[in-house]
Order: sequence, then structure tokens, then C-alpha cells
Amino acid sequence: MKKFILLLIVLVLIVTMLVPSVLAESKNTVTIWSWRGQDAEVWQKVENEMKKQGVDIKIEFTPVMQTEYDSKVNLSLQTMTGPDLVYSRRLPGGYMQTLIENSLYLPLNEKIDLSNFPQAALNSVTYNGKAYGVPFAVQVVGIFYNKDIYAKYNLSIPKTWDELVSNAEVLQKNGITPFFVAGKEAWILNMQHAMCGVSILGPEWIKDLTEGKTNFLDPKWIDLNRKLNDLKKYYQDGFMANSNPDQDAAFAFGQSAMVFFGIWGYQNWKTFNPDINVGYFMVPPARADQKPYAYTYMDGAIAMTSSVKNKELANKVLEFVATPKFGTIFSNVTFNISAVPGAETPDDPLFKIVVDAYNNHASPYVYWVGSVFTTQKPSLGEDVLSPGMQAMYLGKITPEELAKMAQDAISQWYVPLMKK
Amino acid sequence: MKLKQGHLAIFILPAMILYTIFIIYPLISSLFLSLYSWSGVGEKIFIGFKNFQEIFNGFFRKEFFNALFHNLYFFIVVTTLELGLGFFIALMLATKIKGSRVFKVVTYIPNAIPIVLVGFMWGLFLNPQVGLINQTFRALGLDSLAQPWLGDPNLALSTIMLVNVWRNLGFYVLVLFAAILNVSPDLIDAAYIDGANNWKVIWHIIFPLTFSTIRTLIILLFIWSFNTFDIIYSLIGVQAGPIRSTDVLGTLFYRTAFGGLGSSATDMGLGAAVTVCIFSIVMPVSVLYVYLIEKKKRSI
Repeated sequence: MKKFILLLIVLVLIVTMLVPSVLAESKNTVTIWSWRGQDAEVWQKVENEMKKQGVDIKIEFTPVMQTEYDSKVNLSLQTMTGPDLVYSRRLPGGYMQTLIENSLYLPLNEKIDLSNFPQAALNSVTYNGKAYGVPFAVQVVGIFYNKDIYAKYNLSIPKTWDELVSNAEVLQKNGITPFFVAGKEAWILNMQHAMCGVSILGPEWIKDLTEGKTNFLDPKWIDLNRKLNDLKKYYQDGFMANSNPDQDAAFAFGQSAMVFFGIWGYQNWKTFNPDINVGYFMVPPARADQKPYAYTYMDGAIAMTSSVKNKELANKVLEFVATPKFGTIFSNVTFNISAVPGAETPDDPLFKIVVDAYNNHASPYVYWVGSVFTTQKPSLGEDVLSPGMQAMYLGKITPEELAKMAQDAISQWYVPLMKK
Repeated sequence: MKLKQGHLAIFILPAMILYTIFIIYPLISSLFLSLYSWSGVGEKIFIGFKNFQEIFNGFFRKEFFNALFHNLYFFIVVTTLELGLGFFIALMLATKIKGSRVFKVVTYIPNAIPIVLVGFMWGLFLNPQVGLINQTFRALGLDSLAQPWLGDPNLALSTIMLVNVWRNLGFYVLVLFAAILNVSPDLIDAAYIDGANNWKVIWHIIFPLTFSTIRTLIILLFIWSFNTFDIIYSLIGVQAGPIRSTDVLGTLFYRTAFGGLGSSATDMGLGAAVTVCIFSIVMPVSVLYVYLIEKKKRSI
């Protein structure tokens, strides 16, 4: 009798283990992976909307840590265990190009209407004349500040770098952390450098760099490195041990006045603290007679992978993603600018300022995301500015050595800089 | 009844099949892959020993030897702490001090916590602004001791090792406790009767008689230290920052083979070459371990 009961328990356990896996492989499920954990609500709304349109669908959205995302996607696609759809990176770029060339990303079906998208957006997803994803967001990065803290100390939006430093000085004297910086995540330091560069160096200088008329040993580049290194005394103590979630929490709860970040952070800050009053300004230039610029870029696309199990249903999702309805859902949930033209944007003051920066002040020349300097290895972003900024902030290298690091790395493969 | 060889083969066949699929095949496959350059997709390009050349004499040399040095440092410090403290605590438990039963359980509890949870918990405890460790120091007026534990390249690896010791100490305490209990009480009693003090009993009787267990644990710790990955991954991530100060061969391999933000090179062939190097270091020690076990069996 005891043996019989034991056998029954084992059988029940086996059945309960199998049931979830059977459900997971339901033919009405479309799986999506992303590095953006904050988009879970977007896909819940997309699922509801598609059901209203008569599509029998379940969308299973899985966020993956930003720093592990590309490796996880690569590995899963090679072993055919990947999802139906992924958030893909942009072109030009090694990641996406390699996956396209090896047929791990599939070209879009002709039914998906991309005719309304601007050409710049389509350039980021098109390879050899075929589109490999539906662009989903435009990102704007810069300095986000706590308006209440600024008002409390009668601070105004700085027009020059020196005014920014003065504001930081006032805040620090009053016991407020001027900047919260997530130094543990090197990509954030890379982004910080790039957003400062478009204003302080200016698009014309970056254009000259791209054409080889100047190089990374230019005193202006070294001066930017030095400005950032000098700014670290206004960061929170122990900033090299803090990560992105620490930054979000600290800024949302008013523990720091400013962060160098992107509009995608707004959703998290509002979720943590609905009462937070956030403002935005572009990194101010070095001199008052210079124009500030915003670093903006196409964040990526939703792409179909070779591991797709429900191709027809996945195509229906992509068709929906290319519509203004998706753009409206996306923008209103995440407070990000949708790449889909015609989307209704949220009625939010911060959002309007950021959209204005994108429409009227975007730098036409950049050196981080979307730039030629990140298309090969060693990359200016991952291999130079990410580790280099950490090393500089830790005092292991000087601003001059960071400049040399950049020149030595990029001149290995970028022809216009080889002769210098 | 003597078992026929054929019947023996049938009994070990399932285990051999699994062993071949999950151990032998990946090992041989890695050896071959280390001779190629392969991004993980598309064609593999045969390059001979170029990967090894890059590791020992090329662009990858600095990163590889940095990681190797960290593994050695990890082994020395962790072994000293885990065996040293483990032996001391096991001795205390063997003297049947009050509360030893409870203490045995308490020491082992961290060992039962999944490593990912250990990383998550200690990541919170070590937060420089609001973490338990720094808050405690500040509350005691010891502000100068409140450090960015995982953000300082001079402290990060040592901090990770201490977390590792905290988590694993219980296991060594239990193993060494069992070894100490195996020492005949008559020997100890005789030593006390002859006028030996506690230190002489420990040094001349208990330690020599538990040395074979300690030796086995040292060998196992060597193997585990060179395979370490999970504790660093859960506390820092595969970038092994700040500025590679927590990089070990495991994280180096993962980053190189599978890519991700912060990889200085992404090539599965190069990653496979790193694993061949790890294997070359660990294998002789594993052979030594098996030899010592066999030697002990023959002497019984």
C-alpha cells in the first residue's frame, strides 16, 4: 500500500512538472525577449488590443539584463532555443549584421507596412535592401534633474559647463548629492561621455574626427575627459559600486539632484515616486556662444528570429508593432518617443521638452550609438570609453592617457585616423 | 558469485553514455574548437595554435594572466580561511561546548542558500550608501571603514572571497568535524595523561591524523577555485569590474565565448582555448587526487 501511494505521488509530480511545459509550448503563444524590463506592461496592453481585434494570442515577454542580453540572444539563436521575436540592436552594427548574415534574423514579411517610417529609422533596420525589424523607439539622453530641488536652491538651467559646475557646488554645500552616477555599469559612463561630447565638442568637431581632420589626441577631446574627471567630486560617495537600479531609486526618492541618463528612465522614476517632478536639459556647452545639442538615436527594432515557432502569429504582432496604435501604447506606458509615426504622445511636460530636443536639437554627428566608431573592434564605446572612463574615475589613468587609449584603439582599423 | 564482464558492461553503460555526451564529447569538441576562429555563427576558420599564441604572447596575454593571477590569489586566500577557520571551529565543536549542536546547524545554513541568492543578498548588504555593512560602521562611529566594497578595485575581489568563505565555511566545518571525531579518544586521553597540553595534542595528534582529509580538501579547493564563476557573476557580472579587478578564468571564458557588453574579444575559438588552459591546470591536480585516493584504498 505504501509503495502504491509513493508511486502515485511520483506520478502526480511528473504530471505537474510536464503541464507547465506543455502550456508554454502552446501554439497561440508568441515569445519576446528584450533588455527593457519596463516594457512588460506594453506587451500586456498589446495582447489585450490584439485580442479585441479577434486574434487569439498570448504574448510571453521576458526581460534579460542589459549586460547579458546580446550573449544570451546569440547563444539561444545558435541552439534554436530562442524566442519568436527579439528587440534587436541597430545598423550599422556588428551584432545585428552578423545575425542577419547568418540568417538568424529573418527579413520582414511584405504585409508589414513600413512606408510611413522616416528613412533614418529604416536605415537602422535595412540590410541589402531588406528590412529586418520594425523600429520601436527613439532615445534622447541628457541631464535629468529634480525640479523641486532646483527650485528650493533657486537654481536655473545652466547655459554653460561652468554654470553646471556652479549649480553642483551649491547643491553639495547644502548637503544634496549633485549627481548620482552608476559607475559600476561602464556603459553608463560611456553614454555620459558621449552626451557631453555632442555639446562640448560640438557636431562640427565630431564631423572633423569622422573625416580624419582631427583625432583623439586633440586638446579639445582631452579637455572633455578632464572636465568629466573633475566633475566626479560632485558624485555620491562610492559611486563606482553603484548600479543602474541604485541610480533610479536614489533619483526617484530625491537623494540626488541630477542624473546623466536617457528618457527611458522616466517610467521607472515615476513608478517609484509618482510625485517626482523631473526636468531635462541638454548638457550645456563650454561657452555661452555655443549651441547645446542632444544625443538622440534609434534604439533598435523588433525582429523575428530563426527560432520562431509561431510564424504567422509573430507576423501579426509585427504588423501591429508597425501601426500608430502600438506607438501610442508604447509612448504612453514608457514615456519614450515611439519610432512609429502618427503615435499619440503622452500629455506630459517632460516628454514635450524631450521631443523638442529630438526634433530641433539632435546632433547630426555622434560617436557612440549609431556612429562608425562602434562598428568594429576595438570599439570606441565598449573597448575604450567603457573601461577607460572607469579607469580614469578610479585614478588609474589620466585624461591624456584615456585620449591615447582611444587613438591607439581606433587607429588600428579606422582608415581616416590611421595616418595621424 | 562472480559477475560476468558482459553483465558489468551493461550496468555501467547508461552512466558511460551520459558521461560521454556531457563530459567527453564537450571536452574533445573544445580542444578542436580552440584551433578555430568562430564568432558563434557562420563558418569556422581554422587558425591552428593562433588562439594560444594570442593568450600567451599576443593581445589577450594581459587579460588572461590577470585572470589567472586572480584565480591563484583566490585559491590561496580562500583555502587558508576556509580550512583554517573550519579546522578551528570543528575543534571547538568537538570539545562539545555548550550550544555546539545549534552552532553546527547555524554554520551550515549559508551553504544551503543558492549562490544567486547569496549574490543578491550580499549585493544589498554591500551597497555603499544604504547597505547593512556600511550602515553598521556609520552607526558605530566608524565612518572611515565604510567603503565602496564592490567598487574599489583594491577591495572588490577580497570582498567576494569573504562572501565565498561565509557561504562555504559550514561544509568544511562538517567535513573536518567528522575527521576529528575519527581520531581515537584513547590516543588523546593517553597524551593528556602523559602531560601534553592542548596545543601539543592538537599539533602532534589531531592535526597529523586529520591531515589526509585536509589534503583532499586542499586539492578540491584548488579545482573549485579554478572553476569559480558563479559568485563573481552574481555579485559583479561577467564584466568582472571594476576594471577587471575581479576577473577570473571563468568570467574571462564566458565573456570571450558568448560576448555581451564589455567583451574585449568575442570568439568561441578563443574562449575554447581559455577552457583548454583551465583544463591543463586543473587536470594534473585531479589526477593527483585520484592517485591519492587509490593509494589510501590500497593501504587499508
